[in-house]
Amino acid sequence: MQKRFQTSMLALSIILVLSLLLSACGGSSNKDNAASGSNAAASNNAAGSANSGNEKTLELKVAFLGIGTFKDVADVQDAISKITKEKLNATVKLVPIDPAAWQQQINLQLAGNEPLDLLVTSSAFNYSTQAAKNQLVVLDDLLEKYGQGIKDTMPEAIFNGTKINGKIYGVPSVRDTAADYGFIARKDLLDKYSIDLSTVKSYADLEPILKTIKDSEPGVSPIVQRSSTLGIATEMITSQFDVLGDSLGVLNLNNNDTKVVNLFDTQEYKDSLALTRKWYQAGYIMKDAATTQEGNNALIKAGKGFGYFSNMKPGFEAQESGIDGHEMAAVRLTKPVSGSASANIFMISIPRNTQDENRAMQLMNLMYTNADIVNLLDNGVEGKHYVAGANGQIRSVGADSGWVFNQWEVGNNALAKVWEGTAPDVWEQMKKFNESSIVSPALGFSFDSSAVKTEIAAATNVINQYRAGLDSGSIDPAMVADFNDKLKAAGLDKIIAEKQKQLDAFIAAGAGK
Amino acid sequence: MKTNQMNQSVVHILLILLSAACLFPFLLLVAASFTDEASIVKDGYNLIPPQFSMAAYTYLWDQAAAMTHAYGITIMITVVGTFSGLLISSLLAYPLSRRDMPLGGIIAFIVFFTLLFNGGLVPSYLVYTELFHMKNILLALIVPGLLTNGFYIMLIRSFFMTSIPVPIIESAYIDGAGEFKIFYRIVLSLSLPILATIGLMLAISYWNDWFNGLIYITEPKLYSIQNLLNRMLSNIQFLQQNNLGGKASEATATLPMNSVRMAMAVIGILPIICIYPFFQRYFVKGLTIGAVKG
Amino acid sequence: MTQKGWSVALKRMMRYRALFLMVLPGLAYLVINNYLPMVGVVIAFKNIDYSHKGLFGLIYYSDWIGLQNFKYLFQTNDAFVITRNTLLYNGGFILINTAVAITLAILLNEVRNKLASRFYQSLVLLPYLISMVIVGYLVLSLLNVENGFVNKHVLPFFGMHPLEWYSESKYWPYILTIVNLWKNIGYFCIIFLASIIGIDHEYYEAATIDGASKWQQIKQITIPLIAPTITVMTLLAIGRIFYSDFGLFYQVPLNSGPLQPTTDVIDTYVYRGLMTLGDIGMSSAAGVYQSIVGFILVIFSNYIVRRRNRDQALF
Repeated sequence: MQKRFQTSMLALSIILVLSLLLSACGGSSNKDNAASGSNAAASNNAAGSANSGNEKTLELKVAFLGIGTFKDVADVQDAISKITKEKLNATVKLVPIDPAAWQQQINLQLAGNEPLDLLVTSSAFNYSTQAAKNQLVVLDDLLEKYGQGIKDTMPEAIFNGTKINGKIYGVPSVRDTAADYGFIARKDLLDKYSIDLSTVKSYADLEPILKTIKDSEPGVSPIVQRSSTLGIATEMITSQFDVLGDSLGVLNLNNNDTKVVNLFDTQEYKDSLALTRKWYQAGYIMKDAATTQEGNNALIKAGKGFGYFSNMKPGFEAQESGIDGHEMAAVRLTKPVSGSASANIFMISIPRNTQDENRAMQLMNLMYTNADIVNLLDNGVEGKHYVAGANGQIRSVGADSGWVFNQWEVGNNALAKVWEGTAPDVWEQMKKFNESSIVSPALGFSFDSSAVKTEIAAATNVINQYRAGLDSGSIDPAMVADFNDKLKAAGLDKIIAEKQKQLDAFIAAGAGK
Repeated sequence: MKTNQMNQSVVHILLILLSAACLFPFLLLVAASFTDEASIVKDGYNLIPPQFSMAAYTYLWDQAAAMTHAYGITIMITVVGTFSGLLISSLLAYPLSRRDMPLGGIIAFIVFFTLLFNGGLVPSYLVYTELFHMKNILLALIVPGLLTNGFYIMLIRSFFMTSIPVPIIESAYIDGAGEFKIFYRIVLSLSLPILATIGLMLAISYWNDWFNGLIYITEPKLYSIQNLLNRMLSNIQFLQQNNLGGKASEATATLPMNSVRMAMAVIGILPIICIYPFFQRYFVKGLTIGAVKG
Repeated sequence: MTQKGWSVALKRMMRYRALFLMVLPGLAYLVINNYLPMVGVVIAFKNIDYSHKGLFGLIYYSDWIGLQNFKYLFQTNDAFVITRNTLLYNGGFILINTAVAITLAILLNEVRNKLASRFYQSLVLLPYLISMVIVGYLVLSLLNVENGFVNKHVLPFFGMHPLEWYSESKYWPYILTIVNLWKNIGYFCIIFLASIIGIDHEYYEAATIDGASKWQQIKQITIPLIAPTITVMTLLAIGRIFYSDFGLFYQVPLNSGPLQPTTDVIDTYVYRGLMTLGDIGMSSAAGVYQSIVGFILVIFSNYIVRRRNRDQALF
């Protein structure tokens, strides 16, 4: 028996060695490919002047977060390709990737050699780690050469707000980069009880309104949560903090300094918890807010909710009224704020797997300068997904469109046609709104977590254990002490120290300016 | 048959209770798929829909083209995968069941070892996509699940060892039959019970598989039915539990409703429920596992 | 050797050649599907750098960092909780699933009406076919605080107050065990049933003549004869005792924080911790840890089985 076991082990090791050899062969041939690929890119560069070196027809692959409806992706892709074929001698392949599979799918694709030319990146999806681990191409030179049009489409602080160690790895989309915060509620109920939202000046002022709804509208929850991670207590103080990526170590904007602190240990957070708890116990917040599987919009639509807290922007009421199936009215309780993530929460980058970084950049440039391409991406094909309406605006064709794209992801959305029901000058308003915002000193900072990943892994689990419960009021706020103890045990102090170090270096380098 | 049997009514009562426990949630699922969306959000699930609605099925009917396509993919990978999986497994199991097979013990250990160790997702993915370019092709939904694990091979091998009399093989051999002929004519035809059992297990795992689709397929044309369902469900959950800078709530609004999710689950389960009784016919003779020596 | 002896030997070789040919596709498959990726185990000991692409590039050009990637698994007090939970749940599942599945299989075998037997079998297999995410919804529909079936109908019937199921961790060991049993019982039952049907009827007939009661028959004939099946199934389950059904522990408790002390297992902890990091070195480390512990446990339990009954051991 013993001997047989040994023989088996020997056989096993032989197989393992064979496997190693096999994978080495495969791997090295791939490496050669990669090398020749970059040589080709280099020779393209050598060929020099703009738009030359596009002799070979390519299919550029663009991966983005697949939230929406992409049934007719082929139509949109063909229409865009028609334009790009002429301009770049390249067609476009749009690849929507499911949000739930995003992390895994992108991780796998970037580990391998699959061609991928443009990729939506985000500070919520490891942007800084991707840059640090050489998964993204440095864009500065390429932008200079082929992306001249991009820079003018957004404020300089935002354009530069994606830099890591002084280099640009991603270009933000043109969107509402700032946000103000407040409460939005069903207008029919507001009218019914003649509530005037404009008298509300602070979150605490909402209390009598919530009480009225609770007392007179059984079955309607006065406040519903947007999701289990967007808790009531956090929503009420979001404008006062810059979460610096992951909430583990934040800037308190009230203090006007650059000291990284523990959000969960601040007085602001504790006060907010106390108010939330009071509301929870009074029945203003749904009992299962921390675990609900229904979004705020579904709850409002079903007549189960009255209102919710949210980040806002110009045209927000119109947007939400459409989604909620009720006319909604909002009150804004804070000034607009631009935080560290304002620029880098949605960007487009060129991954290392690109077939031709020059043409990828040229395509990116078109996404910021060519109105036809932006419009195709954002709104789909005319006649099929929208029809022309009054004042140059566009109108929906019916209930089930085969193309619904979340335009905040990529490109210069200000070039797209505007839907009826939205103010025609919405993008003008948006620009003013963005410019009027309070700017965090950390705008453009992105945290590279690789030095403290052990601690982050542990702390993320602690956050999950306490935060949703605390934030929704379903756990006693006294538990916040336990929460902080466990965070400390998980290594929060080390994370904060590392973040402070990186932030100090960022500010010293004058980045973002 | 002169064995004393348990009191039939007691047996039936027990089994009816158990079956009911298994059936009840499924009925809840079916009922929810026929319930009006607003009433699900408001009152939760009920066995009798408070407000009957066909909206979920109408919604799916509108997507009939995509749905039938996904069904086609699922059926195709299930059929091809199950048959090739069965073939490769039994081809591997038969020589291992032969006590005179040289190196049999070592090969058996090589098979067994795969049960305990695996290289993880990233290396598997790289092997398949880099060495075999298995991305966005149907084979990527079939190949990674072919043998599922060494367990089934061991089951088949034990069946061969215990249920196929060696003298039959010997005499066939003396009659001049080759190994392949013996395998095909004698071994396989004597092994319907185990082939049906393993076939069923393989078919279920192919039918229910969504993971390979998740990592190897980004092309909607190649989505299987479970893949469609799972993507929908996990997207909803992901957006509920992750904060994309406040954008997530705008995004959830475009996702399908509760009742649609339930209707899709029902549609995904029904066919395999219908097929199951046909497999059972072969459970006349059992499988014994054991004596799986390495 | 005589002329004839040689030709027999040659014939035997030809015969084994055919057998080796049969083994070939399966072995080749295992090498590609299982052994080739095993090379990737070293990723767990490396700090992955993506400058060089491909499996070989990743492995060869990244720096060794020793056990750094394993640290997060053992760093906090949670390490104890998740290990304890994983072991207790999976251990419990092995015992309970096996016991109930055997009971159910014996019951099903007793049904004389074959049509009824098939009907029951189909029904108990039903939960095995439902996706875990859907199971999560179904459990929620039963346990929902505001309009769940249990809080609305069952508890008031017994004169009890509604319970906040998703914030009280003490109920969840029972809930998860029941859900797991409910979901997998059909699968295990099929395996045991197939094994029981295979038992020669003469044993029972002889026992009946000897006047053995049904209970004695089960104890003396059925259980011993399906013991090899039970042993193999158990040993295999022990090999995977550090892996958990992710869906069961993540989707069914809805990832609810307050339940974490009793619902968090190694797989959910790793998933949550790495969701934002996406670090393949750390996820490989978790896999390696789970495999190695499983391997040691199998070798150990196999040793015990072998001492008691050589024939039933795996190797």
